[in-house]
Amino acid sequence: MSGTLLAVERLNLAFVSAGQRVPVINNLTFSVAPGESLAVVGRSGSGKSTLLNLLCGLQTPDDGVIAIDNESFGNASDAVSIARWAELRRQLIGVVFQQANLMPALSLVDNVRLRTHLAGRHKQDELWWLQRLGVGDQADRYPDRVSGGQAQRAALAMVFAMSPSLILADEPTGSLDRHTADEVAESLFNVQVETGCALVLATHDSELAARCGRVLDLSAAG
Amino acid sequence: MAVVVGLSALGAGLSGCDDPSGESGFAGLAESGGQAEASAFLQPKPGTRLVFPDDWGPHPQHRIEWWYFTANLTTPEGRPLGVQWTQFRQALQPRPAAKAPPSPATWPMDSAWMAHGAISFNGDHWFEEKVARGDIGHAGASADPFRVWLDDWELAPISESDAWHLQVQGDNWDYDLTLSNTGNITAHGDGGFSAKSSSGEGSMYFSLAHLNVTGTVTVAGRTQAVSGKGWFDREWSSQFLKAGQQGWDWFGLHLEDGQKLMAFRLREGDSTFSSGSWVNADGDVESLQEDDLTLSPTAWKESARGRVPVVWQLRVSGRGVDLRVKASPGEHWNAGLVSYWESPVAVSGSHDGKGYMELTGYADQAP
Amino acid sequence: MLIRAFLSHYQRHPFQLAALVLMIVLATMLWTGVTVLTDQARSSLAQNEETVAARAHIVRTDSQPVGVEDFVRLRKTGVCVAPWLEVKRPAPEGQVIGVDPMSMACFGRSAPIQDAASLDGTPFMDIGDALRVSQEGYDSQLYLIAPRDDIELPQGYALRAFSLAPPTGELADSFLLNLDALSLLVLLITGLLIRSVYRLGLVQREASFELLYRFGVLPRQIRQLLVLELVVLTAVGVPPGLWLGASLAEALGTGFGQALGSLFDLTLYAESFGSLPWRAAVVMVALVLTVCLLEWVFPQPRQPAMVSAYARLGGGALLLAGALGVVLATELVWVFAGTALVFAGVGLLTPPLLAAVEERRSVRSGATASVADPLRRWRARELSVMFRQLALPVVALQFSIAAVLAVHALVTTFESTFEQWLGQRLAADFYIEVPQGGDSATAARRLNALEGLGTWHLVAHGKAQVRPEEAGTGADPLTADLMALTPITDLVSDWALLSSAERSWRELASGAVMVNEQLARRHDVEVGSPLELTIAGTRMRTNVVGIYADYGRPVAEVLLHADTLPAAFTPRSESFSVNKGELSRDVIHDRLADTWGAPDLQVRDNASIRELASQIFDQTFLLTRAISALTLVLAAVALLIMIWVFFTTRVWYFRLLGVWGLQGHQVRRQLRLLSVRLTLTITAAALPLGIWLTWVLVNRINPLAFGWSLPMDLYPVFWLELGLMAGAAGLLVAHLMRRQLERDANGERP
Repeated sequence: MSGTLLAVERLNLAFVSAGQRVPVINNLTFSVAPGESLAVVGRSGSGKSTLLNLLCGLQTPDDGVIAIDNESFGNASDAVSIARWAELRRQLIGVVFQQANLMPALSLVDNVRLRTHLAGRHKQDELWWLQRLGVGDQADRYPDRVSGGQAQRAALAMVFAMSPSLILADEPTGSLDRHTADEVAESLFNVQVETGCALVLATHDSELAARCGRVLDLSAAG
Repeated sequence: MAVVVGLSALGAGLSGCDDPSGESGFAGLAESGGQAEASAFLQPKPGTRLVFPDDWGPHPQHRIEWWYFTANLTTPEGRPLGVQWTQFRQALQPRPAAKAPPSPATWPMDSAWMAHGAISFNGDHWFEEKVARGDIGHAGASADPFRVWLDDWELAPISESDAWHLQVQGDNWDYDLTLSNTGNITAHGDGGFSAKSSSGEGSMYFSLAHLNVTGTVTVAGRTQAVSGKGWFDREWSSQFLKAGQQGWDWFGLHLEDGQKLMAFRLREGDSTFSSGSWVNADGDVESLQEDDLTLSPTAWKESARGRVPVVWQLRVSGRGVDLRVKASPGEHWNAGLVSYWESPVAVSGSHDGKGYMELTGYADQAP
Repeated sequence: MLIRAFLSHYQRHPFQLAALVLMIVLATMLWTGVTVLTDQARSSLAQNEETVAARAHIVRTDSQPVGVEDFVRLRKTGVCVAPWLEVKRPAPEGQVIGVDPMSMACFGRSAPIQDAASLDGTPFMDIGDALRVSQEGYDSQLYLIAPRDDIELPQGYALRAFSLAPPTGELADSFLLNLDALSLLVLLITGLLIRSVYRLGLVQREASFELLYRFGVLPRQIRQLLVLELVVLTAVGVPPGLWLGASLAEALGTGFGQALGSLFDLTLYAESFGSLPWRAAVVMVALVLTVCLLEWVFPQPRQPAMVSAYARLGGGALLLAGALGVVLATELVWVFAGTALVFAGVGLLTPPLLAAVEERRSVRSGATASVADPLRRWRARELSVMFRQLALPVVALQFSIAAVLAVHALVTTFESTFEQWLGQRLAADFYIEVPQGGDSATAARRLNALEGLGTWHLVAHGKAQVRPEEAGTGADPLTADLMALTPITDLVSDWALLSSAERSWRELASGAVMVNEQLARRHDVEVGSPLELTIAGTRMRTNVVGIYADYGRPVAEVLLHADTLPAAFTPRSESFSVNKGELSRDVIHDRLADTWGAPDLQVRDNASIRELASQIFDQTFLLTRAISALTLVLAAVALLIMIWVFFTTRVWYFRLLGVWGLQGHQVRRQLRLLSVRLTLTITAAALPLGIWLTWVLVNRINPLAFGWSLPMDLYPVFWLELGLMAGAAGLLVAHLMRRQLERDANGERP
């Protein structure tokens, strides 16, 4: 596939704090091609998480354009846009946070099942995905009964199982120890390459960032 | 509380308590009612004469009247004991003498009766108040035979004698006395018309000041035989006080030498109106005017219900009478619907003696 | 600084602080309201019994009517007596009573009126005015009333009881006992509710306590601060609650007083207040401190799994023991104990049971994968977690709703029972006591001859010795009241019998008897039981053909046909109950007065008495309904608070659904489904408990306390109302969560 999957043009977002406008995202322009992996780096508070929120419609920019799969979104927050973004998040975009990615009341496999059901996929390969990410034998356990690393793997399995075109990962290994982080990262990149989905990865970990195809430094850009 | 019920149901209301301007006077006695009503009631005037035996009985065409008795008694141990009995009649509707009284079966509300009984002994004071509807039969008075009663309190002649019998029962006290008259009727003022102000308001007023009293008194858990001197007053009017008069001070004194002094002083703001009667040992009455008589309080007491003058100086000019009159110790308030002070007094100075003192219009609040 | 750190939790979650204070305020209000209302109801009923029923009036021993001359005669002998002129003016103006306030001065506190303002004709007025009213053409009757029934009278006069309404007997007592039991339940519930809100907050603060501990703060200091915090919260929450509860009680109590104020003085009520709220305050403070600091006395075990297994086992045991105790108990105290055990057992079993139900539901949802609705499964699993984590508030709410159900059933049952009792007692239009020495046989003949008269009967009252034959010859006979009726008309045959033989009323004519419930219960008498009766020295063998309910009559009673009485029997008193039919009261009065030569014969009009007695009880029931309503409100508010607090701890995960692509309205729908199912489930779980509690109150507590039972009725319409309320509460919670959800996506993560 060629072309651009994700295109961001002159994106702006500022917070208003104590009467002052504090720009978080400042005139940002970049693009991501299908299957590409982009690391978003920057100091703490440089807007990495915010950018990821913007890229999946959980936040609305002040102005600028975000185009996903040739569908453009501006700063409108009308019902239609909101519905469209939700649709995209269901089927196209997978989101992984640093932690708490899974419903605590459901087992790992049930979490994946729920996710794929929402995505409209009924291939029933949840177990396979869990195994692929190395947590197949924890499938019936609850998220509070598995280790942090296992939970993140399950989260990744959940996200991959929905066959996304784009994965947004916000510090996916941030709360793991070095060793586990490396393992999880390894699984992430392998499967990403296998499935050919794009990846935008926000991280402060330079080694992790280095594994991505490109790096976007927000402190420099903003 | 229930007594308030009783008397607040009376139209005129004996309570002048909520009358800060003093217009209706002590116990509303300065009220004159509406014009039409006022004309229907009879009002004593200078020249009105006493008529016996009728005047012993009630006067339905007068607004207010009373039968009043006090006695300075001594117990077997020689201790002084004072006794008071008063029965009031208040007319709500005037009734001319010729007209028959309403039938009791109609439960009329033309008049109301109130009776007070009190004992002062050993610095303590016992008091009871009773009320009754008039013209029913359980309260009333008659001239001939002379009787005054309210429920089971009664003043009535003793058959086959000239003496009277007085019985009064309180909650935990009672007295049963025989009153023997040893003197003449003392008509006060001008042949019985006693002026209460310089403008002529007043009442018909006579007394029996020479009563010998014997009997028994039960009080403080003991029944004792008592004897002493008594004083009986009879007074009636329709406009007793002048508007603005707050109250009066009254004295009925038995002097050691057999003479008697009746003196009263009406108070109106800063000014007063005094009058009195002097009865010598032979029973002759002399009416005392303002100039003849001086009554001045000389010592006050901060009592539970107000500030009252308990020591007085009484002077009668031209007779060498200079008396110091002192109330017996203790609080002697008759705290009924309206509060007033009624106590025995001791007399010293130019003459010794004893008697009774009544002070009205000094109570701070309505009871 | 330490205090600031300590309180920082509330800074971030001000709602929890507000919730806790609100719970304390409401709980205090409820408890205060309940105790004040109950005490008030109790004292007012007592006072009314006394004032209404126990008054005396003076009659002439020569049976002539009293008049003003008698009044005068009595007063002159020093007797405290007052005239009371009843003018029977029909509705709508109604009856007036003429009184003379001056002669009531000696009545003191038992005077029917205490201030002149109440002489306005409703119904009291000055006696002279009342006489004039009666002269417009109404019947009137003069009584001379006395303040007590123990005064001395002169010759020619006697005292008679002067009651305005039949004494209510134990009916009122029973009602109040049940109310007391419910008050305790309310206290328990409020304790649980406060505890659950407090614990929720405490759990969230555990992390910060850990932190403080690591910073070197001693556990002792933390505990001290916790106590201080609780004391402050209590100091803030209890006084407003006291005031609210007392105000509410006063508002309702005054209404009660006003209803009776037409006859009796409002000051009957003023003295109910004062010291009570302070007692309530002490109770509340003790309650708050106890329930919140329970852990310090009973530390929580560390293994929850073990605990839940023990809990289930223990719960089952308690439930069984309690239920058995209640059913088998022969004494009241064991019934109460058994009930408490059942509640404890239910409390332990319900949360795991409800959780397990949801588990099964979720398993079934997932079983056939093709029709799986993972969202439904998610909801079921969420609910299962909720029931476990919210065990305490769930149980508290279950108890509240059960209590509300029971109170509602209790009050409604009492109301209808009372109506029936009144109807039974006052079946006929008129009640006439046969005067001493009056010839009832002649009177009966003459009544019979009256054309157009309605049904009537003559009752002879006496005493009899009763010995149930099954009790054996050694048993002591008991003294029972005897009622001999003739003729047996529909005045009695309409009575609802608890149990009866075939054609029981007919059987009476052949010598059978009926007994009241007290007799039947206390001495194990049933329909068909043989009885040995001794009347006026004559022994009779008879059998029981019917048992009638006689709510609240503590004495055993035997009913039979007058024809079966032995000749030697002389009645203590006799009375006629007469329906007027087409005749007027005067005709009946005259006929009977004539027969007995008693012109001042009293013909008591039952309708007005029924009216009065109804009024008294109406207001009592109003008070109880108020208690019920208060509890319900508290339960509803608690429900709201609890669910909302819990939901806020799950907000992140609800938002996760949004992240996963569910639109806002879809997430809200999920929430609604969750919360409504939660509230409806708790309500459904409360139903069996509530029904059981009602059964205990009417079928166990009442009979053991008083010897007679109340009918057990269910009120499904009320359950429906509760269900609707529960549903509405659920929807409200879901609605309130909206704002939480719409907050910044960067909101806190758990």
